[in-house]
Amino acid sequence: MNHTPDTTTSAGNGGNGGNFDPQQAAALLDQTTQQARRKFEPYPPWLLVIRAVGVLVAFGTVWLSVRGQHPYKHPTAAAIPVVITFGVLNLVATVAVARRATAGVSGRTEPRWAEITVMVVVWVGLFAVMGALAGAGVSPAFVYGIYPATVPLMVTGLAWAGIMAARADWRACGAALAVAVVGAVAASAGPAGAWAVVGVGLFAVLLGTAAAIAWRQRA
Amino acid sequence: MADDVLDPLIHVPTRLKIVATLAALPDGDTLSFTRLQNMIGLTPGNLIIHLRKLEDAGYLSSKKTSNGTVSITTVALTGHGRAALGTYTQALRDLLGGL
Repeated sequence: MNHTPDTTTSAGNGGNGGNFDPQQAAALLDQTTQQARRKFEPYPPWLLVIRAVGVLVAFGTVWLSVRGQHPYKHPTAAAIPVVITFGVLNLVATVAVARRATAGVSGRTEPRWAEITVMVVVWVGLFAVMGALAGAGVSPAFVYGIYPATVPLMVTGLAWAGIMAARADWRACGAALAVAVVGAVAASAGPAGAWAVVGVGLFAVLLGTAAAIAWRQRA
Repeated sequence: MADDVLDPLIHVPTRLKIVATLAALPDGDTLSFTRLQNMIGLTPGNLIIHLRKLEDAGYLSSKKTSNGTVSITTVALTGHGRAALGTYTQALRDLLGGL
Protein backbone atom coordinates (compact mmCIF):
# COMPACT_ATOMS: atom_id res chain seq x y z
CA MET A 1 0.00 0.00 0.00
CA ASN A 2 2.82 2.42 -0.68
CA HIS A 3 2.67 3.25 -4.34
CA THR A 4 -0.01 5.54 -5.61
CA PRO A 5 -0.58 5.53 -9.33
CA ASP A 6 -1.27 8.59 -11.43
CA THR A 7 -4.90 9.37 -10.81
CA THR A 8 -5.28 12.04 -13.43
CA THR A 9 -5.60 9.58 -16.27
CA SER A 10 -7.36 11.27 -19.13
CA ALA A 11 -11.06 10.73 -19.32
CA GLY A 12 -10.68 10.31 -23.01
CA ASN A 13 -8.79 7.06 -22.80
CA GLY A 14 -11.90 5.09 -23.41
CA GLY A 15 -12.21 4.14 -19.78
CA ASN A 16 -9.61 1.42 -19.90
CA GLY A 17 -7.52 0.63 -16.89
CA GLY A 18 -4.48 0.40 -19.16
CA ASN A 19 -1.60 -0.96 -17.11
CA PHE A 20 -3.38 -0.21 -13.84
CA ASP A 21 -2.51 -3.37 -11.99
CA PRO A 22 -4.48 -4.83 -9.06
CA GLN A 23 -1.81 -3.86 -6.53
CA GLN A 24 -1.96 -0.24 -7.61
CA ALA A 25 -5.76 -0.41 -7.54
CA ALA A 26 -5.73 -1.79 -4.00
CA ALA A 27 -3.35 0.94 -2.87
CA LEU A 28 -5.44 3.66 -4.49
CA LEU A 29 -8.70 2.25 -3.09
CA ASP A 30 -7.19 2.07 0.39
CA GLN A 31 -5.73 5.57 0.23
CA THR A 32 -8.83 7.21 -1.26
CA THR A 33 -11.18 5.55 1.24
CA GLN A 34 -9.08 6.65 4.22
CA GLN A 35 -8.71 10.21 2.89
CA ALA A 36 -12.44 10.52 2.16
CA ARG A 37 -13.40 9.19 5.59
CA ARG A 38 -11.06 11.70 7.23
CA LYS A 39 -12.41 14.59 5.17
CA PHE A 40 -16.07 13.71 5.77
CA GLU A 41 -15.63 13.15 9.53
CA PRO A 42 -17.40 15.94 11.47
CA TYR A 43 -15.75 14.83 14.75
CA PRO A 44 -12.10 14.14 13.86
CA PRO A 45 -10.02 12.32 16.49
CA TRP A 46 -7.65 15.28 16.99
CA LEU A 47 -10.58 17.53 17.89
CA LEU A 48 -11.93 14.95 20.34
CA VAL A 49 -8.51 14.61 22.00
CA ILE A 50 -8.26 18.41 22.41
CA ARG A 51 -11.82 18.45 23.74
CA ALA A 52 -10.96 15.67 26.20
CA VAL A 53 -8.05 17.69 27.58
CA GLY A 54 -10.25 20.81 27.72
CA VAL A 55 -12.96 18.93 29.62
CA LEU A 56 -10.41 17.65 32.11
CA VAL A 57 -9.03 21.16 32.65
CA ALA A 58 -12.48 22.82 32.92
CA PHE A 59 -14.09 20.30 35.26
CA GLY A 60 -10.81 19.86 37.15
CA THR A 61 -10.70 23.61 37.79
CA VAL A 62 -14.24 23.54 39.15
CA TRP A 63 -13.43 20.53 41.33
CA LEU A 64 -10.33 22.26 42.73
CA SER A 65 -12.47 25.30 43.57
CA VAL A 66 -15.08 23.30 45.53
CA ARG A 67 -13.21 20.35 47.04
CA GLY A 68 -12.35 22.21 50.25
CA GLN A 69 -15.83 23.60 50.87
CA HIS A 70 -17.55 22.30 54.00
CA PRO A 71 -20.46 22.76 53.68
CA TYR A 72 -20.63 22.89 49.90
CA LYS A 73 -21.56 26.34 48.51
CA HIS A 74 -20.79 26.71 44.79
CA PRO A 75 -17.86 26.86 42.33
CA THR A 76 -15.80 29.99 42.94
CA ALA A 77 -15.85 32.98 40.60
CA ALA A 78 -12.32 32.13 39.44
CA ALA A 79 -13.46 28.77 38.03
CA ILE A 80 -16.40 30.09 36.01
CA PRO A 81 -14.34 31.92 33.30
CA VAL A 82 -12.38 28.70 32.65
CA VAL A 83 -15.61 26.76 32.07
CA ILE A 84 -17.15 29.50 29.90
CA THR A 85 -13.97 29.89 27.82
CA PHE A 86 -13.82 26.15 27.27
CA GLY A 87 -17.51 26.02 26.35
CA VAL A 88 -17.22 28.85 23.81
CA LEU A 89 -13.99 27.55 22.23
CA ASN A 90 -15.42 24.03 22.05
CA LEU A 91 -18.60 25.25 20.37
CA VAL A 92 -16.77 27.43 17.84
CA ALA A 93 -14.24 24.69 16.96
CA THR A 94 -16.93 22.00 16.71
CA VAL A 95 -19.16 24.08 14.42
CA ALA A 96 -16.23 25.17 12.22
CA VAL A 97 -14.86 21.65 11.79
CA ALA A 98 -18.30 20.10 11.22
CA ARG A 99 -19.22 22.73 8.63
CA ARG A 100 -16.00 22.11 6.75
CA ALA A 101 -16.42 18.33 6.84
CA THR A 102 -20.04 18.38 5.69
CA ALA A 103 -19.65 21.11 3.05
CA GLY A 104 -21.42 19.93 -0.08
CA VAL A 105 -22.88 16.89 1.71
CA SER A 106 -26.64 16.50 1.90
CA GLY A 107 -28.71 13.81 3.52
CA ARG A 108 -28.28 11.89 6.73
CA THR A 109 -24.97 13.53 7.71
CA GLU A 110 -26.42 17.03 7.46
CA PRO A 111 -27.53 18.55 10.76
CA ARG A 112 -31.30 18.90 10.88
CA TRP A 113 -33.07 21.92 12.30
CA ALA A 114 -35.44 19.73 14.31
CA GLU A 115 -32.50 18.06 16.05
CA ILE A 116 -30.74 21.36 16.75
CA THR A 117 -34.01 22.76 18.13
CA VAL A 118 -34.46 19.75 20.42
CA MET A 119 -30.95 20.20 21.86
CA VAL A 120 -31.38 23.96 22.36
CA VAL A 121 -34.73 23.41 24.11
CA VAL A 122 -33.17 20.72 26.33
CA TRP A 123 -30.29 23.03 27.36
CA VAL A 124 -32.54 26.04 27.99
CA GLY A 125 -34.92 23.81 29.96
CA LEU A 126 -32.06 22.49 32.11
CA PHE A 127 -30.96 25.98 33.13
CA ALA A 128 -34.57 27.09 33.66
CA VAL A 129 -35.07 24.16 36.07
CA MET A 130 -31.80 25.06 37.82
CA GLY A 131 -33.03 28.62 38.29
CA ALA A 132 -36.35 27.35 39.60
CA LEU A 133 -34.59 25.01 42.06
CA ALA A 134 -32.42 27.87 43.34
CA GLY A 135 -35.52 30.04 43.69
CA ALA A 136 -37.31 27.28 45.59
CA GLY A 137 -34.53 27.18 48.17
CA VAL A 138 -33.17 23.73 47.36
CA SER A 139 -29.77 23.09 48.98
CA PRO A 140 -26.68 24.59 47.24
CA ALA A 141 -25.09 21.14 47.21
CA PHE A 142 -27.74 20.04 44.73
CA VAL A 143 -28.41 23.30 42.81
CA TYR A 144 -24.76 24.30 42.33
CA GLY A 145 -23.13 20.89 42.64
CA ILE A 146 -24.85 17.66 41.69
CA TYR A 147 -27.42 19.19 39.33
CA PRO A 148 -25.15 21.25 37.00
CA ALA A 149 -22.41 18.60 37.01
CA THR A 150 -24.55 15.57 36.26
CA VAL A 151 -28.12 16.26 35.11
CA PRO A 152 -27.15 18.04 31.84
CA LEU A 153 -24.99 15.05 30.92
CA MET A 154 -27.76 12.56 31.62
CA VAL A 155 -30.50 14.53 29.84
CA THR A 156 -28.52 15.73 26.80
CA GLY A 157 -26.73 12.37 26.55
CA LEU A 158 -30.04 10.51 26.37
CA ALA A 159 -31.56 13.09 23.98
CA TRP A 160 -28.56 12.89 21.65
CA ALA A 161 -28.53 9.08 21.86
CA GLY A 162 -32.17 9.09 20.74
CA ILE A 163 -31.40 11.41 17.82
CA MET A 164 -28.42 9.31 16.75
CA ALA A 165 -30.44 6.10 17.06
CA ALA A 166 -33.04 7.63 14.73
CA ARG A 167 -30.18 8.28 12.27
CA ALA A 168 -28.92 4.71 12.79
CA ASP A 169 -25.53 6.18 13.78
CA TRP A 170 -24.74 3.58 16.43
CA ARG A 171 -21.23 4.81 17.20
CA ALA A 172 -22.49 8.29 18.11
CA CYS A 173 -25.46 6.74 19.92
CA GLY A 174 -23.08 4.64 22.05
CA ALA A 175 -20.89 7.66 22.86
CA ALA A 176 -23.97 9.68 23.89
CA LEU A 177 -25.16 6.85 26.14
CA ALA A 178 -21.69 6.68 27.70
CA VAL A 179 -21.95 10.41 28.47
CA ALA A 180 -25.30 9.82 30.18
CA VAL A 181 -23.79 6.95 32.20
CA VAL A 182 -20.92 9.24 33.32
CA GLY A 183 -23.54 11.71 34.57
CA ALA A 184 -25.43 8.97 36.42
CA VAL A 185 -22.27 7.62 38.06
CA ALA A 186 -21.10 11.12 39.03
CA ALA A 187 -24.42 11.81 40.75
CA SER A 188 -23.43 9.36 43.48
CA ALA A 189 -20.06 11.06 44.13
CA GLY A 190 -21.40 14.01 46.11
CA PRO A 191 -21.50 17.68 45.07
CA ALA A 192 -17.72 18.20 44.95
CA GLY A 193 -16.74 14.73 43.78
CA ALA A 194 -19.29 14.88 40.93
CA TRP A 195 -17.17 17.49 39.11
CA ALA A 196 -14.08 15.27 39.31
CA VAL A 197 -15.95 12.14 38.20
CA VAL A 198 -17.51 14.01 35.27
CA GLY A 199 -14.14 15.43 34.20
CA VAL A 200 -12.39 12.05 34.27
CA GLY A 201 -15.41 10.21 32.83
CA LEU A 202 -15.85 12.56 29.88
CA PHE A 203 -12.09 12.53 29.28
CA ALA A 204 -12.24 8.74 28.98
CA VAL A 205 -15.37 8.75 26.79
CA LEU A 206 -13.88 11.34 24.42
CA LEU A 207 -10.57 9.49 24.13
CA GLY A 208 -12.43 6.23 23.53
CA THR A 209 -14.55 7.85 20.82
CA ALA A 210 -11.44 9.36 19.22
CA ALA A 211 -9.79 5.94 19.19
CA ALA A 212 -12.89 4.31 17.67
CA ILE A 213 -13.09 6.94 14.91
CA ALA A 214 -9.35 6.69 14.17
CA TRP A 215 -9.62 2.89 14.00
CA ARG A 216 -12.60 3.07 11.64
CA GLN A 217 -10.82 5.56 9.39
CA ARG A 218 -7.93 3.16 8.99
CA ALA A 219 -10.04 0.01 8.64
CA MET B 1 -6.40 -12.07 -16.27
CA ALA B 2 -7.06 -9.22 -13.83
CA ASP B 3 -9.09 -7.39 -16.46
CA ASP B 4 -11.41 -10.39 -16.72
CA VAL B 5 -12.46 -10.31 -13.07
CA LEU B 6 -12.21 -6.61 -12.25
CA ASP B 7 -15.15 -4.44 -13.27
CA PRO B 8 -13.74 -2.34 -16.15
CA LEU B 9 -16.00 0.58 -15.24
CA ILE B 10 -14.41 0.88 -11.80
CA HIS B 11 -10.92 -0.37 -12.68
CA VAL B 12 -9.73 3.04 -13.88
CA PRO B 13 -7.83 5.24 -11.40
CA THR B 14 -10.10 8.27 -11.66
CA ARG B 15 -13.36 6.32 -11.52
CA LEU B 16 -12.05 4.19 -8.66
CA LYS B 17 -11.34 7.42 -6.75
CA ILE B 18 -14.82 8.75 -7.51
CA VAL B 19 -16.58 5.57 -6.41
CA ALA B 20 -14.41 5.13 -3.28
CA THR B 21 -14.97 8.75 -2.27
CA LEU B 22 -18.75 8.52 -2.66
CA ALA B 23 -18.78 5.17 -0.84
CA ALA B 24 -17.23 6.86 2.22
CA LEU B 25 -20.49 8.77 2.70
CA PRO B 26 -23.36 7.13 4.58
CA ASP B 27 -25.87 5.36 2.33
CA GLY B 28 -28.29 7.89 0.86
CA ASP B 29 -26.09 10.97 1.31
CA THR B 30 -25.27 13.07 -1.73
CA LEU B 31 -22.18 15.14 -2.53
CA SER B 32 -22.01 18.36 -4.51
CA PHE B 33 -20.18 18.25 -7.83
CA THR B 34 -17.87 21.07 -6.65
CA ARG B 35 -16.78 19.28 -3.47
CA LEU B 36 -16.24 16.03 -5.38
CA GLN B 37 -14.19 17.89 -7.96
CA ASN B 38 -12.03 19.43 -5.21
CA MET B 39 -11.49 16.07 -3.57
CA ILE B 40 -10.65 14.20 -6.77
CA GLY B 41 -8.63 17.02 -8.34
CA LEU B 42 -10.03 16.87 -11.87
CA THR B 43 -11.19 19.50 -14.31
CA PRO B 44 -14.99 19.80 -14.52
CA GLY B 45 -14.99 18.43 -18.08
CA ASN B 46 -13.00 15.34 -17.16
CA LEU B 47 -15.10 14.68 -14.09
CA ILE B 48 -18.35 14.98 -16.05
CA ILE B 49 -17.16 12.38 -18.56
CA HIS B 50 -16.33 9.88 -15.82
CA LEU B 51 -19.53 10.59 -13.91
CA ARG B 52 -21.59 10.05 -17.04
CA LYS B 53 -20.03 6.62 -17.59
CA LEU B 54 -20.80 5.63 -14.03
CA GLU B 55 -24.30 7.05 -14.22
CA ASP B 56 -25.02 5.24 -17.49
CA ALA B 57 -24.08 1.99 -15.74
CA GLY B 58 -26.44 2.82 -12.87
CA TYR B 59 -23.57 3.09 -10.37
CA LEU B 60 -24.43 6.64 -9.38
CA SER B 61 -27.25 9.09 -9.63
CA SER B 62 -27.06 12.82 -10.12
CA LYS B 63 -29.53 15.57 -9.46
CA LYS B 64 -29.53 19.20 -10.49
CA THR B 65 -31.34 21.70 -8.31
CA SER B 66 -31.70 25.42 -8.81
CA ASN B 67 -32.82 28.19 -6.54
CA GLY B 68 -33.24 30.67 -9.37
CA THR B 69 -29.73 32.08 -9.57
CA VAL B 70 -27.45 29.22 -8.63
CA SER B 71 -27.77 25.62 -9.76
CA ILE B 72 -26.18 22.83 -7.76
CA THR B 73 -25.44 19.36 -9.06
CA THR B 74 -25.22 16.59 -6.52
CA VAL B 75 -24.12 13.00 -7.01
CA ALA B 76 -24.59 9.86 -4.95
CA LEU B 77 -23.59 6.24 -5.20
CA THR B 78 -26.58 4.01 -5.85
CA GLY B 79 -27.15 0.68 -4.15
CA HIS B 80 -26.05 -0.95 -7.42
CA GLY B 81 -22.84 1.14 -7.36
CA ARG B 82 -22.13 0.26 -3.74
CA ALA B 83 -22.63 -3.44 -4.54
CA ALA B 84 -20.35 -3.14 -7.59
CA LEU B 85 -17.61 -1.58 -5.45
CA GLY B 86 -18.05 -4.42 -2.93
CA THR B 87 -17.68 -7.00 -5.68
CA TYR B 88 -14.67 -5.14 -7.10
CA THR B 89 -13.01 -4.98 -3.66
CA GLN B 90 -13.61 -8.69 -3.14
CA ALA B 91 -12.16 -9.47 -6.56
CA LEU B 92 -9.06 -7.42 -5.67
CA ARG B 93 -8.74 -9.31 -2.37
CA ASP B 94 -8.99 -12.63 -4.18
CA LEU B 95 -6.38 -11.58 -6.73
CA LEU B 96 -3.95 -10.30 -4.12
CA GLY B 97 -4.67 -12.94 -1.52
CA GLY B 98 -6.10 -10.46 0.99
CA LEU B 99 -5.64 -6.67 1.16
